[in-house]
Amino acid sequence: MTDPDTMTRRQLIRHSAWFGAAVGLAVAGGEVISHVAGTAAAERAHVRPTLRFAQLSDSHIGFTGAPNPDVTGTFGRAIDRVNNLGYTPDFVIHTGDLTHLATPDQFDQVKQMLSTLRTPHVFAVPGEHDSVDDAGQKYRSVFGAGTRGDGWYSFDVAGVHVIALVNTLNLKKLGHLGVDQLDFVHKDVARLSSDTPVIVFSHIPLFAMYPDWGWGTDDAAQVLSYLSRFSSVTCLNGHVHQLFTKTEGNVTFYSGTTTAYPLPRPGDAPAPKPVTLPAGKLRDALGIREVNYTRGRSALALKESTLQ
Amino acid sequence: MRPLLRLGVAASLAVSAISHAYLYIHGYQHIPVIGTAFLTQASLSFSLALLIAIGGPGWLQWAGAAVAGGALVAFVLSRTVGLFGFSEQVWEPSPYAAISVGAEALTVLLWAGAFLSPLGWRLAELRH
Repeated sequence: MTDPDTMTRRQLIRHSAWFGAAVGLAVAGGEVISHVAGTAAAERAHVRPTLRFAQLSDSHIGFTGAPNPDVTGTFGRAIDRVNNLGYTPDFVIHTGDLTHLATPDQFDQVKQMLSTLRTPHVFAVPGEHDSVDDAGQKYRSVFGAGTRGDGWYSFDVAGVHVIALVNTLNLKKLGHLGVDQLDFVHKDVARLSSDTPVIVFSHIPLFAMYPDWGWGTDDAAQVLSYLSRFSSVTCLNGHVHQLFTKTEGNVTFYSGTTTAYPLPRPGDAPAPKPVTLPAGKLRDALGIREVNYTRGRSALALKESTLQ
Repeated sequence: MRPLLRLGVAASLAVSAISHAYLYIHGYQHIPVIGTAFLTQASLSFSLALLIAIGGPGWLQWAGAAVAGGALVAFVLSRTVGLFGFSEQVWEPSPYAAISVGAEALTVLLWAGAFLSPLGWRLAELRH
């Protein structure tokens, strides 16, 4: 006698057919959605983006240790990647910790390496490693031309307003901007219309990524309040050596990766100390970022690439 | 499963799929891991919605509830501890976040109503 709970061959075939149909339709649906997304991207690509730039971060030139025995080599590879994007980026931004210990030799080396980038402009903001003993004086002597205050500045390019902030001086635990810099931003954006896309660079995140490790800026809320009227605000930072995205209203925050060594994910270790990866895995954790903006689009398009 | 419940599950899955597909096309494709997850969610939900609507077997609805439940868990993670390096504020992007959560919650509720309640009744009967 047949067990009523046992599936007959006919039932098995029928269920297999439904399963196959589910898989087939899912694949076909995925193809259609990808195609539509690809077509949308191609339409954007057809019109040259209004602005294209690359982000490098946390090169830590001068670092020695097992997590990366050759930070100069990996930074050089990152520069090669930028030089071989297939187009000339409008500018390249380095979001801090250019050097590991802010010595004159390290600044000299990183400056020379950055000069090999094939781009009209190279911008930078300092990390806390670039101001370990002199409140950023050596940094400003090399990278501070044309900046205001302790090294902050802004500029307009292709209809986009770019603000570069310094939140690594006067550090207690979290990043800090200070009254002078807040006042600068307040006045700087006052003249802009609300539909101007705004991009903000800083080393330490302007959002509370992990305050226990100092991954946040204590007076960021003030600066973000000055930017709340703008329809598109994009904040790019370094410091945390890993990709992270957060949206808050009109503002999208993107933490960038590093060209030197990875740090643990928030809370995965007692402290944010360099992580030594298994052999051959380091370059997967390092990378560069491309950013495109096309006029009329509210969001910037980001593309991350590893150094592998 | 009653036809109305079945169509309700299919419709709510389709709404969640459309919401995820829209967000994927309009920017989320650029977010590492999350972009792929949105594409997978949308295509799986579309597929299950269609097959459930045309009268597929009951396990399709279990699969639909699993996809919807998984999306709800991912939503909560992305609003709390973060998900694959991605974090958002509660109901952003508006209105898509709310539409997705509403549709997914409906999928799970309809599935629970259709499959779990009869199971509970049968267990209660067995106890008696």
